[in-house]
Amino acid sequence: MSVVFLFGMVIGLMALGVPVAISLGLSSVIFLMIYSDASLASIAQTLFSAFDGHYTLLAIPFFILASSFMSTGGVARRIIRFAIATVGHFKGGLAIASVFACMMFAALSGSSPATVIAIGSIVIAGMREVGYTKEFAAGVICNAGTLGILIPPSIVMVVYAAATDVSVGRMFLAGILPGLIAGLMLMIGIYITARVRGLPSQPWAGWGEFWGAARDAVWGLLLIVIILGGIYGGIFTPTEAAAVAAVYAFFIANFVYCDMGPFASPGKRGLAIVTRAISTFWHPDTKKTLFEAGKLTVTLMFIIANALILKHVLTEERIPQEIAQLILSAGFGPVAFLIAVNILLLIGGQFMEPSGLLIIVAPLVFPIAIQLGIDPIHLGIIMVVNMEIGMITPPVGLNLFVTAGVAAMSVMAVVKAALPWVGIMFIFLILVTYVPWISTVIPTALMGPEIITK
Amino acid sequence: MQTAEQSALGRRTDQIEETLMAVLMGLMTLVTFANVIARYVFNDNLLWALETTVYLFAWMVLLGASYCVKKSLHLGVDMVISLLSPGTQKVVGLIAVSACLLFSVLLLKGAWDYWYPFATAQAFMEVDDIPMPGFLQFLATWLNEGERYEKIPRFIPYFALPLSLALLTFRFVQAGWRILQGTQISVIASHEAEDLLEETVQAADAANGGR
Repeated sequence: MSVVFLFGMVIGLMALGVPVAISLGLSSVIFLMIYSDASLASIAQTLFSAFDGHYTLLAIPFFILASSFMSTGGVARRIIRFAIATVGHFKGGLAIASVFACMMFAALSGSSPATVIAIGSIVIAGMREVGYTKEFAAGVICNAGTLGILIPPSIVMVVYAAATDVSVGRMFLAGILPGLIAGLMLMIGIYITARVRGLPSQPWAGWGEFWGAARDAVWGLLLIVIILGGIYGGIFTPTEAAAVAAVYAFFIANFVYCDMGPFASPGKRGLAIVTRAISTFWHPDTKKTLFEAGKLTVTLMFIIANALILKHVLTEERIPQEIAQLILSAGFGPVAFLIAVNILLLIGGQFMEPSGLLIIVAPLVFPIAIQLGIDPIHLGIIMVVNMEIGMITPPVGLNLFVTAGVAAMSVMAVVKAALPWVGIMFIFLILVTYVPWISTVIPTALMGPEIITK
Repeated sequence: MQTAEQSALGRRTDQIEETLMAVLMGLMTLVTFANVIARYVFNDNLLWALETTVYLFAWMVLLGASYCVKKSLHLGVDMVISLLSPGTQKVVGLIAVSACLLFSVLLLKGAWDYWYPFATAQAFMEVDDIPMPGFLQFLATWLNEGERYEKIPRFIPYFALPLSLALLTFRFVQAGWRILQGTQISVIASHEAEDLLEETVQAADAANGGR
């Protein structure tokens, strides 16, 4: 009963327009004051432990920073050029290239809305120019953008790893194959539609353009190699890999692509170049990017820190174990359980920001899943895919709002436009849920089988 | 929002907070990066790097939380409140702010209770790895009966808690005042990504200009 009270309070406060973070925190504080003798001081300590007790979460600000440096218009444009040079000559080529560009950008950024903004703001206009409808373009981008949290690096995966003590490196590797499959499914869907509707293709630009575009885009794409190679090769911890990625992105954006900083505007050569290079560190562009990334980190981490107080309450009251008992005694098998998890997350994902939802739900369902013999990595991927769908379904799908902004359409119009592609994502969710192999094959092959401690 | 009537003091505070967040973010990254360099290039480990990063992180997020209240950046669900009439919106907005205030006051009390012993009875407690810089040793005379600190004392990093919750309380009082005055509707960001969106679209347009 107390659980219902706790979650009722969270939902009630959110409905009143209390920030998500405060809804989670206040409900937990009130719950603790009524049902336990925990002191306020210990709650404050729990809030602080979000930082000094969860080293994994440290990767989040660095991934956000790396993606902020990479999100300058120039990197997205280079990736799009490369995508068009590669797959643009198929029927519906520009739409297929957009999906491909979203997949590549997803490998630089850990967030879905960021992917939609970076790629969508350029390609939607481009697609309309060559004769696609606005609805088609928006629907494709809205869905392909969700790959941002499935293709590593992914902030949502870092949060899942922190909530369940699964290895971040494993989660990242596990996201690769499902990410490629989801992208491919979307591309096939587009290709079929293009054949039926007779959508235009771009002329094949030739190998010269292909290699030129590839050479131009490669500096950005190397980021993912650094992250995955660094973690898998045992060179860095995931947190360090994220920090190195941020420094690398800073370097590329300022000195190689010259999209920002002192070299973005032409100036004198010669010795002055050294002072200019050094001035990058306090250049207004650098400060602005650091601050923007900081702002994003703050809003996200404040939710996570408060969700951790709620998680603390749940663990303290042994609520996951109670629910586990309930579910196991009701005779749920793994299949029925996963369906229940899917439904819970799909509903929750429509109302809440993915990271916050995950950090509450993961500790609830994780112990049950382990009891039922479900692989923790597989469970993580299922959860991430659910979050993806939550982002493109109303009423609170973040991607819908962002796409509406980018495409200058109403949110309802985007909802309708995205619907056919949401169908593909649903098929993909079912595939991922019932074929654990897709999620586990790469991490198991590269890092050995998972050791599960019950 | 109400930037037009923003005072010089308000602008200065904004600047300080924004610069502080940027600097903390930059320092976190550089310290972690320096540790990687130290390990591979100089074959040495910066023992204090991880703990320093953690505390910088905590300071940035905790202090940033009150900045985000000031700028209404915290995420929330505005689906229900957007359906209400302006009058009801105001009442609901005030209830929401009261809930926020209850949270920040309770946690401010908790943060103070948690921090105060570290500054008094347990002032001898030190962090694990960060060495004490010499210029701060005067704290030892003040609080630690003259016994020098080898590592920085815990009350320094933990001070983020009471400080930031006091600021948070202050900002919620301000937000409540603005809702009462009718210059603000709610304490949450209505459609989260709009600002970000505008800037990026502009940037992309600029970048696309040539095509």
